[in-house]
Amino acid sequence: MLKKLRSKWVVLPAVASVMLFLTGCSQQEFSRGFLPGVPGVTNHTDRITGLWTTSWIVLWGIGLIAWGLMFWAVVVYRRRKGETGLPPQLRYNNPIEVMFTVVPLIITIGFFAFTARDMAAIEQPTANPDVEIQVIAKQWSWDFNYVDENVYESGIQSQFDGETGSEAALPTLYLPVGKSVKVDLSARDVIHSFWVIDFLYKKDMFPGRTNYMYFTPQVEGTYKGKCAELCGEYHSMMLFNVKVVSQAEYDAQMQKLADAGNVGQLDTKYDRNQNLPGDNPEIRG
Amino acid sequence: MATATASKSTYGSSKKTKGQILVDWITTTDHKKIGYLYLITSFLYFLIGGVMALVIRAQLAAPGLEIVQTKEQYNQLFTMHGTIMLLMFATPLFAAFANILMPIQIGAPDVAFPRLNAIAYWFYFFGSFVAVAGFFTPQGAASFGWFAYAPLSNTTFSPGLGGDLWVFGLALSGFGTIMGGVNFITTVLTMRAPGMTMFRLPIFTWNTLVTSILVIMCFPPFAAALFALGADRRFDAHIFDPANGGPMLWQHLFWFFGHPEVYILALPFFGIVSEIFPVFSRKPIFGYKTLVYATIAIAALSMTVWAHHMYVTGSVLLPFFAFTTMLIAVPTGVKVFNWIGTLWKGSITFETPMLYSLGFLTTFIFGGLTGVILASPALDFHLSDSYFVVAHFHYVVFGTVVFAMFAGIYFWYPKMTGKMLNERLGKIQFWLLFVGFHVTFLIQHWLGVIGMPRRYATYLPEDGFTWMNQVSTVGSALLALSMIPFLWNVYITARKGEKTTLNDPWGYGRSLEWATGTPFPRHNFTSIPVIRSESPAFDLNHPESAAPEAKAAPKKKG
Repeated sequence: MLKKLRSKWVVLPAVASVMLFLTGCSQQEFSRGFLPGVPGVTNHTDRITGLWTTSWIVLWGIGLIAWGLMFWAVVVYRRRKGETGLPPQLRYNNPIEVMFTVVPLIITIGFFAFTARDMAAIEQPTANPDVEIQVIAKQWSWDFNYVDENVYESGIQSQFDGETGSEAALPTLYLPVGKSVKVDLSARDVIHSFWVIDFLYKKDMFPGRTNYMYFTPQVEGTYKGKCAELCGEYHSMMLFNVKVVSQAEYDAQMQKLADAGNVGQLDTKYDRNQNLPGDNPEIRG
Repeated sequence: MATATASKSTYGSSKKTKGQILVDWITTTDHKKIGYLYLITSFLYFLIGGVMALVIRAQLAAPGLEIVQTKEQYNQLFTMHGTIMLLMFATPLFAAFANILMPIQIGAPDVAFPRLNAIAYWFYFFGSFVAVAGFFTPQGAASFGWFAYAPLSNTTFSPGLGGDLWVFGLALSGFGTIMGGVNFITTVLTMRAPGMTMFRLPIFTWNTLVTSILVIMCFPPFAAALFALGADRRFDAHIFDPANGGPMLWQHLFWFFGHPEVYILALPFFGIVSEIFPVFSRKPIFGYKTLVYATIAIAALSMTVWAHHMYVTGSVLLPFFAFTTMLIAVPTGVKVFNWIGTLWKGSITFETPMLYSLGFLTTFIFGGLTGVILASPALDFHLSDSYFVVAHFHYVVFGTVVFAMFAGIYFWYPKMTGKMLNERLGKIQFWLLFVGFHVTFLIQHWLGVIGMPRRYATYLPEDGFTWMNQVSTVGSALLALSMIPFLWNVYITARKGEKTTLNDPWGYGRSLEWATGTPFPRHNFTSIPVIRSESPAFDLNHPESAAPEAKAAPKKKG
């Protein structure tokens, strides 16, 4: 009786807290595996979400088997009071050992196949993008060159102290909804990383080299962007916004930049590694 | 008083003055004492690195806090936390357990090169001190992250002396690690007792051998890379200059060391729990040979996966590194099922070493699952450099190193000191540590998924990271508290603990250390039992259940 009571005291709060947790998060959050954003933010996010949730279902299955077997063994095969002697001294069992080598191998190969399919799709360059943007990272902010419109925005480092409302002042990258985008990523000083959280994608930005990312934003809205590679003291303040807007709003913003005098493109002259191959037209010529 | 001491101190007397004890420890070449030096030093670094982690967690408890005065200081804290925990705590902790146990497990009186062993320790001691001494310089310690990516780590962007001390200190300490590796390999290959064939080595010794091979493959390139970085910093060498692709060169060199390093941390501790599960299940290890092959497979694969840390650089061959990384899950899974197979149909008791080993297994399984997720570039693009990665590697590294360290300390404490640690305090400590650990790090997976980058000194209230960070900070306090019962346990055991003289105080020990005196005699053995299986001590004490090969062998007289 005492034993039963004690196990109840362990099981009840555990079940209750799991229930509380599951009801606390919405159905949608759960079905997306807690990934941020909404379905279809870019043309890649649904693919990533699908791989993510499927992988987790399989992995939880494997995990529950492993934990289940472990806890089963611990409970069932515990040494009882007054028990003496030794259990059978089993040393190996070849069929079982072959099984728990081969089955994981097959699962792994399957997982690799889906991964290979999805990452190839994500990394596939767009031949003729509708919009080309150059994003240049610098300690500790962002420069945006709108290549097609020949305008730019030069960001300054954000300042915040734990109060809300500082996001409005962050440098903001505008993108037209439904248009395929190519982003050229480079850096003026150290390595940075361009991460738009809801796009579920980031890519590093190197001094002296250009990286690319390709996607089509599909849902209008404001998205949080952060530098994801340690870049010095104010790494945590190297934030930006991405605004996905209608073509009309996008054009208006481009006009606004032009009216403000931000005509032309920011080039390599503010780079801090002065001996870079800066004359190379491939790198922000 | 003085005369009484003087008259007693005849040749060979165990009474020594404090000065004699000090000189004895400093000049020792005894593998056990060097092992204890490693154990004590690395544990002190564990506490120092842990305090840094507490400051880090305090700083993140709410957006916009200024627990540390500048963000530069915050960067120094996480840089040194990582450096200390990996290279001054976990790696030397491998040297500690390998030194104390491996020679005894193979029936040897010492390691092959005792004086090399001593200098390896002192290289580690002074090298680590040099690296940490950056805190005493005006600009503070290194702050470019423990992987020191160029060009942030050059003097243009990190001009302080702390960076130089970090580079050269680690290089010095790295040579100590290499010497240790050479020593352990030679010892295992040449100094095994008669009858101790390779396939009768205890799993811990096997893992020590494989780990040492990894050490001599991956630490020399790291030492070379550090000297190159040092040349860049002190002599303007331009080796890692962005003009000639230096940033990627550094990343390749660093992770060619850095990834096997993770397995250097893991494998010896897999070995420790592989020693403990059989003893408290009263069964031999399940699938000894598959376990050995799995260890070798993990080590071999670990040399081929380094660029999975670089998926988001856009310049590595994703399919190759994704596939090799995923493949590691297979031998790792084999190990997990072998451990479960050892428990299966056993007769299990839950002494503190066993509790810690089970805590390790519970934690490590989850770290393995998140590792598979991160192996997929399509998912890693989102998760890389986020708190998901932080959570993953704490599950893997803390789950392995710290849980198995405490398991090993409680397990072998009687052999090292002649006294058993208090079981009650041990269990209290285990539950505090287990709960504290999971409260701290489980939530960080979600933090990473919703977008918190690692190495951020602060965040916005609008980010929605606040409550999760607070949970994590509370957990870290609990985790820190769990050190108190341990330290108290060590103290109270030294003061009042009961002496044990049994060769095998747990009753079901298997490998050779359980067939010699407690505490270990000066040269480890006065006599060695017949070795006819991987469990000579068990065969000796439980002849009715001995391995078939041991039963067939002629019984030892007496």
